[in-house]
Amino acid sequence: MSYAYLFKYIIIGDTGVGKSCLLLQFTDKRFQPVHDLTIGVEFGARMITIDSKPIKLQIWDTAGQESFRSITRSYYRGAAGALLVYDITRRETFNHLASWLEDARQHANSNMTIMLIGNKCDLAHRRAVSTEEGEQFAKENGLVFMETSAKTAHNVEEAFINTASKIYQKIEEGIFDVSNESYGIKVGYGGGAGTAGAGRGDASLAPKGGCCG
Amino acid sequence: MGGGGGGGDNETYASMEEANAVDYSAPSRQQDSSYSVASTSAVQVEEELYKKERMTLLQENSVDSTRATDAQSSGVLDDYEVVYVKDNVSVHPTQNALGRISGRLRLIKQGPSLFMTWIPYSHGGLSRQGSNVVVKGGLRNRMGSRAAERDRNLYTIRAVSLSEMRSIRRHTPPFGWQYIIIVLTSGLAFPPLYFHNGGVKEFLATIRNHALLVRSAEDANVYLVNDIQDPLQRSLTSLELTEQPAQPASAPSQEAPWPVILKQEVPAAAENDVKREGSLKQDSRADSLRKRDHARDLSMNVLEKFSLVTKFARETTAQIFGESRMYLDGLDMDRGPAPRPPSDAEVLISGKEAQASFNKGEDSSSGLKSADEEVVDDNLSADDEGDDQAATNVGTFELVDGTQDDSPSLVWGRARPPPLGSEEWRSFLDSEGRVMDPKALRKRIFHGGIEPEVRHVVWKFLLGYFQFDSTYAEREYLIAKKKEEYEVLKAQWQTVSPEQAKRFAKYRERKHRVEKDVVRTDRTLPYYAGEGDDNANISVLRDILVTYSFYNFDLGYCQGMSDLLSPILYVVDNESEAFWCFAALMEHLAPNFHRDQNGMHSQLLALSKLVQLLDRPLHDYFKQVDCLNYFFCFRWILIQFKREFDYENVLKLWEVLWTNYLSEHFHLYMCVALLKRHRRRIMDEQMEFDTLLKFINELSGHINLESTLRDAEALCLHAGERGAGCIPPGTPPSIPDEEAGGWSD
Repeated sequence: MSYAYLFKYIIIGDTGVGKSCLLLQFTDKRFQPVHDLTIGVEFGARMITIDSKPIKLQIWDTAGQESFRSITRSYYRGAAGALLVYDITRRETFNHLASWLEDARQHANSNMTIMLIGNKCDLAHRRAVSTEEGEQFAKENGLVFMETSAKTAHNVEEAFINTASKIYQKIEEGIFDVSNESYGIKVGYGGGAGTAGAGRGDASLAPKGGCCG
Repeated sequence: MGGGGGGGDNETYASMEEANAVDYSAPSRQQDSSYSVASTSAVQVEEELYKKERMTLLQENSVDSTRATDAQSSGVLDDYEVVYVKDNVSVHPTQNALGRISGRLRLIKQGPSLFMTWIPYSHGGLSRQGSNVVVKGGLRNRMGSRAAERDRNLYTIRAVSLSEMRSIRRHTPPFGWQYIIIVLTSGLAFPPLYFHNGGVKEFLATIRNHALLVRSAEDANVYLVNDIQDPLQRSLTSLELTEQPAQPASAPSQEAPWPVILKQEVPAAAENDVKREGSLKQDSRADSLRKRDHARDLSMNVLEKFSLVTKFARETTAQIFGESRMYLDGLDMDRGPAPRPPSDAEVLISGKEAQASFNKGEDSSSGLKSADEEVVDDNLSADDEGDDQAATNVGTFELVDGTQDDSPSLVWGRARPPPLGSEEWRSFLDSEGRVMDPKALRKRIFHGGIEPEVRHVVWKFLLGYFQFDSTYAEREYLIAKKKEEYEVLKAQWQTVSPEQAKRFAKYRERKHRVEKDVVRTDRTLPYYAGEGDDNANISVLRDILVTYSFYNFDLGYCQGMSDLLSPILYVVDNESEAFWCFAALMEHLAPNFHRDQNGMHSQLLALSKLVQLLDRPLHDYFKQVDCLNYFFCFRWILIQFKREFDYENVLKLWEVLWTNYLSEHFHLYMCVALLKRHRRRIMDEQMEFDTLLKFINELSGHINLESTLRDAEALCLHAGERGAGCIPPGTPPSIPDEEAGGWSD
């Protein structure tokens, strides 16, 4: 499928906060409670449209366990967007946000758009982190905030698409040099996905976003 | 004795070594910058070489007689040898005959590698001065250099290794000159080379003597060079030099998993055919293989690339000035006409080429003859040499070329023997239940696996829960004793009261994590099916893992452990015994889960060394794209390929791994086998960290276990001691020596 841009996303956060479920809900529009835990990283992809341009999101769903952090860090490289997820029913997943953020800031490019996600908002009766706290943390750290439910699909679509809009906006504003793939953005190629073998230099020459019909 | 050439060559080596030193010593995180440093140096080296080449040409033009007398004695000069020379091979940049550039095409053998060069003749106008301006930058800013001279530079093919070639297309038009188009693995193509004096057949025949040419099933004029599976296949024949693999119980399979090798289709010089005993046998096998899909996929791939060639030809014709888009997309224009930075080997050969061409005669048939003899010598000695070069792609070919044999003992040609059944299993036991010959048992399982009905018993031996020399009675006692022990361990956490738990965060956290993960482990399998913890076996998984985190409190619970335990519980189907089997496995695999990831890093590093040994070009590629950390193999190693195969195949694989028969690190050879299987795609598509990781991830569920096991076995045998030498002592799953201590890089 052709696309104007490809954005690389990474989903991070403690184990069991629903990273894989968010991804599945977004890519397949379904909730699968029985799902193998993630080892290393899993991939998902979906096309969206922003400003009537087809944009492909390539999403990296990472393992949340602490002991894999040294590996997980290598996945930040070249990500344009990140969903930092916690579980509103488990306080400790919220408490760990700072350390995730530090990792992201240290290993991702500084223009990466980070969306803070309080997941499992369908479990309001077990809530351990208030919406206000989430908002506050986001505000303090310059993140966009949203509460979602991978189970009911509440706000899932919005979370991914809003992030993409922010990235797109940054492209429009010229903050990203789209020919530099370390920003996690690839410019699409006419008929198909950008194939290896084409020159790196060509990306900068491609008409911005307009090459795909 | 190349007159003035000798001293200069040494300088060339020195400068190239410097260039490499920069590259090798740079930490991988700084790869980007170090790479550019290396490239800069490489350009300088290239300039140097280029000057040398021009000098040589000048000399050649003036000292023909000297060369003729040296020719006879120069069969082998140091490490290289010109095995093919053809004059009046031309590039036709324009339709206009005047624009043709003629030159000399050569094949040069260095050690086990073969290189091709095409150097345009210098014309009368070229002075020493002229040669000096033809350096980097000359293309851009020397207004005075003539277009023709520029074209000559542009088209010059400095040593290109055969291992970098993907295919050669032969064109034999009814009128006009024959020509060839060479496509590199990078997708770049050289312009058509026209053979004004004939010699295409001979050219192909010479290559055929040093590497594999596989004729494309799609187009009889296309020859694939060093086809994807071939390094392995060719290396297989050499196994007989090292160790005779076990004879299978059944007849060798007719089905061989390799693509076509159609040696007979390349017309060969008669003298070569006589020397190549075994080529006929190979041909018959090759014939039966020609329809393999894989080969077709490859040639499809090649055809795709030919569309690039066509484009190239068009561009070439329209070309007026060389420095613009000459070589398809992706070429760093700053570096002028060279399609890529030279490899070390290439530079070595180029440096020596001056001498080689100086000493070699024009008579290429004598070159062919001596080349052939040298190949045979290589076959006999290379395996013992421990010479790095022997492990390169091309080297591997030569290692076995000439000893081609259809022997059924070849690993890849063999069917896997049937799994060990209960009757045969009993035959391994003495009257009191001791395994009489553990090694034979391990070997048997390594090759054939175990029938499900005896798996639950035999696994306990393989994992070390049962001793091979234990009797029935001893084992019965052990089971009872270990059950008690397990219950004690389990009680340790089960008796933690809610009050105590409140003040026991570590316990709560561990238990919680285990509970979260067991309900996400193999739920599609009927044995563990259901939702939440409504399946008794899920509860057993939980109990074992929490108990283990108390048994090995320092390690605790880590993700991945449930993947390792699940098949064990499924097979053993007994809580306490599954626990002890799991604990025994963790004796080997615990380092995979160490917080500092040292166990994983040491295995990934060993893997990197193995790939360097067994597939140098692939290693170089990974280095080039800054992927030497091998993180893309992380999951393979962490949980022993648990996520890569279906459940039944995981069981089959694990019992093979646990035999430790050929190597304690057979899983690393599995990795190499898989990477080798996909090497061509990885390199052609220029996969980098992201794409590579995704590609490897997506292989899951699409891997043929049996052929991968065979590949890995062959690689392991082939690598022998050198392979073992890549893996430092104590690398998991070896149990580390107390004295050796932790191993870190």
